[in-house]
Amino acid sequence: MTQFDARVTSNETVAPRWRRLELEWPAEQAPLPGQFLTLRPGRASDPLLRRPFAFASRDGSGGGALAISILYEERGLGTALIAGLGPGDKVDALGPLGRGFPGPLEGELPVLLAGGVGLGPVLFLAAELDRMARTASPAAEFLPPLFLAGFRTKAAIPSIAFPDGARICTDDGSAGFGGTPLDWVSHNVPEGTRAGAGVPAGPRVYACGPAPMLAAAARLARGRGWEASLSAEAWMACGVGACMGCALPRSGAAGYLRACHDGPVFGRDEIDWEAIR
Amino acid sequence: MKPDLSLQIGPLALRNPVGVASGTFGYGSEYAGLMDIDALGAIYTKAVTPEPRPGNAVPRIVETPSGMLNSIGLANPGLDAFIAGKLPELSARGCAVIVNVAGSSEDDYAKVIEGIEAAAGPAGKGVDGYEINVSCPNVAHGGLSFGTDPAQVERLTSRLRGLTRRALIVKLTPNMADIGEIAKAAEAGGADAVSCINTLVGMVIDVKKKRPALARGTGGLSGPAVRPVGVACTYRASRAVSIPVIGLGGIMCAEDAIQYLLAGARAIQVGTANFVSPRAPLEVLAGIGAWMEAEGVARIEDIPALLRC
Repeated sequence: MTQFDARVTSNETVAPRWRRLELEWPAEQAPLPGQFLTLRPGRASDPLLRRPFAFASRDGSGGGALAISILYEERGLGTALIAGLGPGDKVDALGPLGRGFPGPLEGELPVLLAGGVGLGPVLFLAAELDRMARTASPAAEFLPPLFLAGFRTKAAIPSIAFPDGARICTDDGSAGFGGTPLDWVSHNVPEGTRAGAGVPAGPRVYACGPAPMLAAAARLARGRGWEASLSAEAWMACGVGACMGCALPRSGAAGYLRACHDGPVFGRDEIDWEAIR
Repeated sequence: MKPDLSLQIGPLALRNPVGVASGTFGYGSEYAGLMDIDALGAIYTKAVTPEPRPGNAVPRIVETPSGMLNSIGLANPGLDAFIAGKLPELSARGCAVIVNVAGSSEDDYAKVIEGIEAAAGPAGKGVDGYEINVSCPNVAHGGLSFGTDPAQVERLTSRLRGLTRRALIVKLTPNMADIGEIAKAAEAGGADAVSCINTLVGMVIDVKKKRPALARGTGGLSGPAVRPVGVACTYRASRAVSIPVIGLGGIMCAEDAIQYLLAGARAIQVGTANFVSPRAPLEVLAGIGAWMEAEGVARIEDIPALLRC
């Protein structure tokens, strides 16, 4: 991880109140899918704290700096200041932080679920899975992932490039599948799909989205005997594991884990997902 | 001429006045990749209690105008895990290490100091001192904070003084009428210094949900919003006692730190600013040195006399 003044290369609206911010990023600090950065919104004392955002992409440029992006929603004072950044501006950035998604096992069926602005890290993971499949040895078996992205309504779908085969879901049925990504999986992936039954290593859910969606994803994965790697969101002050502010309740044990340092990606049974709804 | 930034806190020689406040810097390793920790004057560790504490229910933090509220609940791995897991790395640090001590009874504080004294060996090695967090509720006294009662502060300080020859610093709460009285009690009990201020009690209510933003209802306010309170407390405390005062509360930059030094502080701590920018403490240190040089101030302890009032 490193803290530096990152140069903004673009900051464009991709949907109402949604933006995609692209920054130059040092090659030796290459982020992994599921990791995040924090940005300091402005230099004044209000708003005070840095804002955490998951990486949504990482593109190499042949030896020089990387280009990384985040997808974010303008929600308050901090994100409004970040929305005001333009190409050439500098922003105080710190990252990469946290524990990202685990790499897929050979023969695993990745089931990628994105809810709302949780889309960013899932897009990054999809790109990484695609890269792995293309560069793996011919003998290795990486199954193409299922990719489901859910939005409230058609107007909220960002104008970005989705991966080939991505399925769009809307809560109100105004575009794509009418329902949530989890509804789609429940309806379309047969109950008995598990390790050995058509999928050598079984499906694994990779998800990022609102807390109720993560809780539902954990329930579905548990019910079907699937593994799951779920990316949580929490308010945090430091982002590096020092302040203990972003604690999430553990599952099956007393105490807490830190979203910033122990996560933000957690295994299905690490966190009491129902308690953070 | 280069100013002399070194100073003395009781038996402890600090190479410079800038520390990082307890609870904002973990045990140091969290920030190791982001700054040169050894260049600090001191690390004040996250609080250590005899038993492990998981911390309070969540949410634990909320942002406020120019500040933040926290109710972390002294989450820490407990004395044994601190000694086994954190102390070896801390002991190898090039800066002073002050262990922040918390508890629910006088015995709790004593246990932590006895345990660390036994593990760290003679003074001058490993751990350099203790900062006593007296803002904790005293379970035996109906949960009222130790730190609001001069008699309790003096008794606790005196007992802990008997357990260590290392620097003993009492961290004062601003949540009371006269911080000078408590500072005097700490001095009478044998403290080498007092640090002030701990956080101010605050509350944020989520109007949409009609409930407090923090699970525990109230929390401790920190950040630039509390700086004027901290400066005033430092001013009062430093006039009430002859032992050094360590100032903290909302220091974001060198100018903020110099306010504390002019108010009477011998040293300062950078707290919430570490969350905002891990560069802050060393920027503050560089800025204090540059200011002293520009002002022709030779030593840290010469600064309070410059205040005109």
